[in-house]
Amino acid sequence: MLDYELLINIWFVLWCVIWAIYLVADSFPLGAGMLAAFLPKNMAQTLQTAKSVGPFWGGNQVWLILAAGGTFAAFPLIFSKMFTWLYIPMMLLLVAIILRGICIELIYHDDNAKLQQVFRYGWALGSLLITVVLGVAFTNFFRGMVINAGYVYEGTLLGLFGVHALLGALLFVLFFLTSGAFWVAHKTTGEISERCNGFGKKTSIGVAVVALIYIIALFNTDGFAANYNVYPILYAVPLIAVIFALTCIALAVKKSDKPLFAFVANLGTIFFGAATGCVSLYPYILKSTINPEFGVSIFAAASSELTLTLMFYAALIFVPIVLIYQLWSYTRFKDKIQEA
Amino acid sequence: MIEDIVLLSRLQFAITVFFHFIFVPLTIGLGAMVAGFEVKYWKTQQEKWKKLAQFWGNLFKINFAFGIVTGFAMTFQFGTNWGAYAEFMGDVFASPLALEALIAFFLEATFFGIWLFTSHKKPALKAVSMILVSVGTMISAIWIITANAFMQNPVGYEMAADGSKILLSDFGAVLTNPYLWYMLIHTLIAAYLLSALFMVAVSGYFLLKKSNVDIFRSSMKLGVYVLIISAILLPCLGMFYGHYVGEVQPVKAAAMESVWESGSDKPMYLIQIPSNSGNIVQAIGIPYVGSFLLTGDPHGEVTGLNDIAEEDRPPVAITFFSFRIMVILGIIFILEALAGLYLIRKDPTLESSKSNKYMKLMLYSIPLPYLAIAFGWAVAEVGRQPWIVYGLYRTGEAISAVPAVQIIFSMGLLVLFYLLLFFLFLYLMVRAIRAGPEVKEHA
Repeated sequence: MLDYELLINIWFVLWCVIWAIYLVADSFPLGAGMLAAFLPKNMAQTLQTAKSVGPFWGGNQVWLILAAGGTFAAFPLIFSKMFTWLYIPMMLLLVAIILRGICIELIYHDDNAKLQQVFRYGWALGSLLITVVLGVAFTNFFRGMVINAGYVYEGTLLGLFGVHALLGALLFVLFFLTSGAFWVAHKTTGEISERCNGFGKKTSIGVAVVALIYIIALFNTDGFAANYNVYPILYAVPLIAVIFALTCIALAVKKSDKPLFAFVANLGTIFFGAATGCVSLYPYILKSTINPEFGVSIFAAASSELTLTLMFYAALIFVPIVLIYQLWSYTRFKDKIQEA
Repeated sequence: MIEDIVLLSRLQFAITVFFHFIFVPLTIGLGAMVAGFEVKYWKTQQEKWKKLAQFWGNLFKINFAFGIVTGFAMTFQFGTNWGAYAEFMGDVFASPLALEALIAFFLEATFFGIWLFTSHKKPALKAVSMILVSVGTMISAIWIITANAFMQNPVGYEMAADGSKILLSDFGAVLTNPYLWYMLIHTLIAAYLLSALFMVAVSGYFLLKKSNVDIFRSSMKLGVYVLIISAILLPCLGMFYGHYVGEVQPVKAAAMESVWESGSDKPMYLIQIPSNSGNIVQAIGIPYVGSFLLTGDPHGEVTGLNDIAEEDRPPVAITFFSFRIMVILGIIFILEALAGLYLIRKDPTLESSKSNKYMKLMLYSIPLPYLAIAFGWAVAEVGRQPWIVYGLYRTGEAISAVPAVQIIFSMGLLVLFYLLLFFLFLYLMVRAIRAGPEVKEHA
């Protein structure tokens, strides 16, 4: 049996890792969805874009269910507060998830041209909305929310959408567009591949610029740097993110015939960017801007030792299995998708 | 004000869960059948099995697409609308949900993607993927019903020292909860019944049109056999389920039959109209059947609703009528299955005028199993009231403190969106059926 406190800490790390994997895994389906609204010149290219993520998006999206379900199982109080306090954004997220999922699954269903256009824009709109809500929500978690003593939430709906949160939304949009663009460029041939490659180069520079402003603003937020100042070694995390972002731009320019490299570098930026925010949270997940002690900490919210142990072993067994068969599925669809 | 929020939250949950469950049973049933067709094609390389796999697989795909994403709505609402419940119950209730994602959803979603984008030139990969999707849907059913069974019959938990929440004490007990297995079997067989009836009806549509008759005679036969087996198994096993409900949820059981006076040797009344304080009309009693249905013993002792405090009673009329309608529909399914069995024996080509009438009847019967399943869930969930966790935690205590206006906003948004989706779903299903078995593949 693991020590209870250690188990809670492990679950904090798992929580961060699962969310980060989700952001990485859904970044290119969401990005492909957003760029499908304006980059493809015709329906054939739109379908190329859709098919490049078609076999994978569903499995990747399950990481979001696991992230939500894992939060519920490991930290019920945090799950409850997170969803209640962000009621309207979460409901928008729900509608967006349904819209995106149905549209992407049905876009190649039949040849009805009008319906295909509806699915195309539905897919794009759903993807954009998911990305924006994620950007806003995570920025609020990283900045902290207006939580008073006894877990009384005093924030407003408008307050959730502050300048910093909107900047976060923009950053997520750019991140995901870059992922999507390089992925589609890699998976397809012909005009859409070239257009995506060129577009990815621009957005990867956009990522670097916006991320820099965003992260400086974060480190200037009260309390954000606390953990970093206690353990300065942790500054390595944002540093790695920056290195990945610069590598991405360099690869996009120097190895523009192999967009997969820039794609992987961008995923690295997303993963370590998410980690940068997560480091600041500990030992809270929902931080309070009024008084740090009012936040919802992992120790106050943790499930019982038995539940955490059980779920820990389940994760230990099944997460690697899932990763293996999901990665294997990418080897099943190696052929580049041509314009039909 | 609190009452409004409770009511709105319940309404929203009911709308989203019933909408989600439109897609679930056909996904479970068709998934298994399509997996069967894929395996047949893999083993025999006969064009017929490929066409069957493609046609039914295409319908499966639409259901799957709608089903998987609408399922998010429940997980979200446990946090958004049922926050107090999430905090009180999370330690026990959330693990099955997380395990469902970890063990079932990944399997379903990943291999659905592989199946969809693999052509029939690779029949082995296509078949194995579909088998894994189908297995995933069943594992998923096990976990979600584990969670629901805990709400019906809480086991394997202990109260936290401060009484603020419950804690898991015995995961084995949660998994061996008899309620789970009664309910799971009932739900799965109902899903196969719905899918079989759907298959019979749609196959009949093509036989009536005399198009692709050899293919659809095969699926008609398969449909009729699955239909007869499931239609007969359901009430037989359902009876034991009923006895068990009578044992662990006596109040729900009393509401299902609208029994008000406690006693033994209870009759069952064929005609009965309940109110919230007794039966308004009660006629044609069949002796001992009431006691037998609720206890398994014709002389069994039944607790009447008069002996239950009013605040502990569920809405009796809804529970009663939902149960009755489900049972009547169940009898209709047996008759329809028997008629189908008779016809495929007597008229194997299915070209007689009797067969034609039967196939038309079955087309109009498609909504019936959907209704039966919806009413069945209404018995299970409304009959559990006023408890969200039977005997342990009241529905009224379980909500989040969200302003009513926000719930009205989200519910309005969801209802509009769902209406749109529902018509889209119908349109796509009808189109896919009309298009017949010539389906283009993605890969």
